[in-house]
Amino acid sequence: MLLELKDITIPTEDGKCVIVNNVSFGVKEGSIHAVIGPNGSGKSTLAYTIMGLKMYNPSQGKIYFDGIDITNMTLTERAKLGMTLAWQEPARIDGLTVPNYIALGMKDKTNLKEKVIEALEIVNLEPERYLTRTIDESLSGGERKRVELAAAIAMRPRLIILDEPDSGLDMIVIEDFLNIFNKIKNLEMTILLITHREDIGMVADYGTLIWRGNHIITDEFPKVMLRYCAKAGLKEFCKRTLFKNDGTCFDEDYIDRIFREEGSS
Amino acid sequence: MTDSDYPEEILQSLEDYNIDIRDFLPGHGGGAKLLLDFNKIKGVEQIEGIILKGREIPNGIVADVVIKEGTKLEEPVHLCFGVSKETGIQEIFPRIIAEDNTEVKVQAHCSFPKANGLIHKMFGHFYIGKNCNFNYSETHYHGENSGALVAPVGYMYVGENSVFENNFNLTKGTPGKVKIMLDIYAMENSVIRSNIRAFGKNIKDSVRIRDAIYLEGKNARSVLKMKAAARDGGEVLMYGITEGNAPNCNGHVECSEIVLGKGSICRARPFIRATDPMSSVSHEASLGRFPQKWLDEIMAKGLNEEEATEILIEAMLREE
Repeated sequence: MLLELKDITIPTEDGKCVIVNNVSFGVKEGSIHAVIGPNGSGKSTLAYTIMGLKMYNPSQGKIYFDGIDITNMTLTERAKLGMTLAWQEPARIDGLTVPNYIALGMKDKTNLKEKVIEALEIVNLEPERYLTRTIDESLSGGERKRVELAAAIAMRPRLIILDEPDSGLDMIVIEDFLNIFNKIKNLEMTILLITHREDIGMVADYGTLIWRGNHIITDEFPKVMLRYCAKAGLKEFCKRTLFKNDGTCFDEDYIDRIFREEGSS
Repeated sequence: MTDSDYPEEILQSLEDYNIDIRDFLPGHGGGAKLLLDFNKIKGVEQIEGIILKGREIPNGIVADVVIKEGTKLEEPVHLCFGVSKETGIQEIFPRIIAEDNTEVKVQAHCSFPKANGLIHKMFGHFYIGKNCNFNYSETHYHGENSGALVAPVGYMYVGENSVFENNFNLTKGTPGKVKIMLDIYAMENSVIRSNIRAFGKNIKDSVRIRDAIYLEGKNARSVLKMKAAARDGGEVLMYGITEGNAPNCNGHVECSEIVLGKGSICRARPFIRATDPMSSVSHEASLGRFPQKWLDEIMAKGLNEEEATEILIEAMLREE
């Protein structure tokens, strides 16, 4: 496993409530691993804790990256080990140019311009339109997310955590993002994808379902998605959207059984 | 004039700003230029459409720049008010007139690379006529020693339907004691964009900038952005004033300042005043540190907090 969480519990800042409770799962190197769950289930908290942001400290448990215990490492130390995070809503910063931002995490800054252009092309941004821009309000939400992704890719990390990369994007753009995820995978980077959308998650090899802060299942993604639908009581939605025209996935009886297990029909 | 006629230390002094003054020497580029070392005019180059005259006075010069009606210049006018010596009192009296229907960019460089007790005073008057597009950029470098005592005062009149963009940069080197006062008067349908950037880096630095925009003509608009940082005992005060004194005028003042290290002081005083019931003026100010999220986003690329802060300061003070 490239990333392993063991019994991670994350309290609120004041310690009075638990956001994520005793969660354990692993992420295989080279995979796309989706963490799904409804809004408020603790997915983003989990992502920030894995990345080591201030104020996101587990009260118990361990996080391992490539076998190294990173639980007490700083954000910078974790990034230097080869992991990064692309934010759900990246900041707009006046004066910071797109090329300078993309180059921030590059270890080797020779042929900088070529590398920046390459990163922009991976995220389907025309380089000539962005080389003189800044990451300020003049970029649309989708453009800013792509620049964030380009900066993460330019680092050539082993693990990229994508926090809700789909939020605020229309369907056509989402389709494009799915292609970008596959490009990242082909560059031998592992993706930990935080999402609550099944269409985004379907690009994943594996998944983990977090429900009200608790770990429910980690498995191949379709099985995780089925369990998500069962917990949410979305049987018709599940049959209609997830497994439509896909007889190889699950048969009706299996779907019925999972829904019964979760007490929904 | 050859490169060697102008002090090497001045020629090199703006490298940190990515400005090479050699590009602006007479014989280089197509723009008009006037270069000064203390009170000695080291070079003047005129071009068609411009009258550029300097008269030496005991402590400096009186410089007149007139851009004749209808002149549209592609190359910037360069004014270099340099001082290569450590001490003394330099006084500059520039009078800049842009006649109607002109388009011009003026780049002024005030460079005192060896300043150590030097005093620089400027008393400038700008008259910008109707239908002009006037861009004025002033970049300061006061050396790395004690900085200089710098006290410029500027009055700017911006005529009907004109656009005036002002950029003031004092972000490299040690500023010293700096007290700047600018008054900009905006007439009907004019647009003012004024951007002020300063960085106080140590206990010797005290930078106080007062930039006032008076929206005197109807539909006049302005945005005043004042950005500053203070570190290691440096002190910065940004005093941004906008008055709405005419119907449908609209102005905004924005002050952003970052304070780093104990003993540093940032102060912002956005001041707005409206005397016309149809005017609209607003302000915002923020002081302190960068948002943690900004730092996190950069640190997630493998930089530590200090490095991330440096990058954000560089970005904040970068000329747009």
